Amino acid sequence: MPGDRIIGDLLRSQPTERTSRAYPSKGLASYALVVAFTALLIQPLPAAQFDTLPRPNAFKAIAQTVVVNTAVNRIDAWGRNRYWARVGTRVWARNIRLGWAWDEDAFATNVFAHPYHGGVYFNAGRANGLDFFESVPVTIVATWTWEYFGETERPSLNDFLMSTLGGVALGEMFHRIGTSIRDNEAGGTKRTMRELAAMPFDPMGGLNRLFRGQWKGFGRNPAEHDPKAYVLRVGAGARFAKGLVNDSVARMGAVVVDLLYGDQFAGTYRTPFDVFSIRLMLSSQGGLNALRASGRLYGLDLNDSTARIRHQLAVNQRYDYVKNPAQSVGGQSVEVGINSRWRLGTRGYGIRTSFFADGIILGAIDAPGAGVGLRTYDFGPGAGVRWEVAADKHGARFFLLYGRVEYIHTVSGAAADHVVNLSGLELAIPIAKRLGIAAQTYIFDRESRYPDRARDRREYPEGRLLLVWTKAASKP
Amino acid sequence: MRLVLATLALLMLGTGAVTAQSPRRPHRAGLWGEIGFGPGRVRVACSGCTDVSAAGGATSYFRIGGTVSDRVGIGVEVFSFLDRAFGFSPGDTTTTAETATATVVVIWFPGRHGLFFKGGVGLAGGQFTIPGTAGADTSNGAGIGLTFGFGWDFAISRKFAVTTNFGAYVTAVGDVVLPGQRVDDVIATMYQAGIGLTFR
Repeated sequence: MPGDRIIGDLLRSQPTERTSRAYPSKGLASYALVVAFTALLIQPLPAAQFDTLPRPNAFKAIAQTVVVNTAVNRIDAWGRNRYWARVGTRVWARNIRLGWAWDEDAFATNVFAHPYHGGVYFNAGRANGLDFFESVPVTIVATWTWEYFGETERPSLNDFLMSTLGGVALGEMFHRIGTSIRDNEAGGTKRTMRELAAMPFDPMGGLNRLFRGQWKGFGRNPAEHDPKAYVLRVGAGARFAKGLVNDSVARMGAVVVDLLYGDQFAGTYRTPFDVFSIRLMLSSQGGLNALRASGRLYGLDLNDSTARIRHQLAVNQRYDYVKNPAQSVGGQSVEVGINSRWRLGTRGYGIRTSFFADGIILGAIDAPGAGVGLRTYDFGPGAGVRWEVAADKHGARFFLLYGRVEYIHTVSGAAADHVVNLSGLELAIPIAKRLGIAAQTYIFDRESRYPDRARDRREYPEGRLLLVWTKAASKP
Repeated sequence: MRLVLATLALLMLGTGAVTAQSPRRPHRAGLWGEIGFGPGRVRVACSGCTDVSAAGGATSYFRIGGTVSDRVGIGVEVFSFLDRAFGFSPGDTTTTAETATATVVVIWFPGRHGLFFKGGVGLAGGQFTIPGTAGADTSNGAGIGLTFGFGWDFAISRKFAVTTNFGAYVTAVGDVVLPGQRVDDVIATMYQAGIGLTFR
């Protein structure tokens, strides 16, 4: 995948990570060249006033992904002299003849960087006026063409699944985050800063806007700009983990960001990902330690929206990435279940519960003796359940108890069945208007069962003490 | 000549007006089901293999679902492939290969004609059997199923259509262990050209 080559550089701080051969080219220089090539396809529009939504143009969306793939491949082939980028008609014919295989790239490359860059493809569609469903085929086509024609290695089935499924999930969430950050009605430096801040989430959207003259022009904001209800909580503090660095309890710094975009009970279901949640955790040990996201694909109110007790059937698409020196687990899944909320009094308090069953389309988990070749983790499908109980005020949780059990059956790697348990308790106590203290516990334990060797069981408990800043809105 | 052109123009305008006034009935709505069969070809790849094994066989499929809109249908598809003379090495025809996928599929009709594209993901299973002296040795695997395809719906009536299908079915079923051979991380890709009957 082209994208890993850029993101991978950011992830090199992880000491155990093997450098992937499918790794970034010249970082910002590559991006700049890609931007320049992409710009050729876009008609610069000097208008000061623009339509909120561009006219749908599937051809332009696909053409932009072709330009991105071609530019990244040629930069790596000519600029960096990478053997895997030296493709030609013989390689293409061989790839078509041999077909799919599993690759040996690093965990962060396959489970984080590929989905991120699948999101770049997806947002080429969104940036060119396509809706959620219309952008899915763009992601599939762009990923498929890269896998068959962009590398000398055989097309990778895990790349394809991670890039398309993860790309759709992260792409739509990042598209909405980018749209929320940008403000078509703002001006001056504030406007430019917002456009720049949105770039890491939605680079294709930002570039299209740049070359259309929309970084300075004025227009109405699209519906995604204001989700009506949201909670943004940023916490920084200490993390105490056993087994992460050594067998004793180690202390390290941590930053935890939680975003709840929309609220299941603030309105009726409108479009996929009109409600989603993201948790990001950065740590002084291992950098990006976790990125978990879940977006609502479909929702159906099971009772009256004015009732004191509400129940809603929901279908969510999940993306999970956990990577630290002790554990690596992640994947793409779809879950079905019930969200409920009990309203308490008239001041916005409530109790929320969730119970979901999920199917893991492709999971990845590290395991002793696992992987293929240099790869140190397994791939496979699976299933599981998830539950949580929370207390909230206007959507902002101040108490959360959760648990999750997942089963992964290996189809690439060591023959194994893995059972993973996650559970935790989180408290957030306000101390000032937006400031508070959060205490979080988290236990990860896993058991791997092999047909030809003893079971392997491990447990990683950890606690976090954070100073948190919360911003929330809950509009009817 | 002018009279002919004017008459044609009036007729066209009239037809357009009638078309515009008549309510557009949904082209596709409600539940649907389809069953079909056809020849197929399987290509088996694995980790560490420098080449692939390929063979022909028989395929069948069944799918059932509903419509999300006039142009989009969603359903469940079960597909199976059978080859009684399969082999993991050149010249070997001793293995019976059976693979199946059960996937959630989305079918997209880009226009009001019969052309459609299909994509789906779900579960897969594979069974490889070699007859032995003391019965048959069998290796079973389960994993991920993926399908893509396109076809054409030839509507016979509003309730019935004959459908052609060209599809690829990717099944990743893990390791296959048979006497004297071990094939790691098997990915079997089936290509099918089928014909089916669709009921709505």
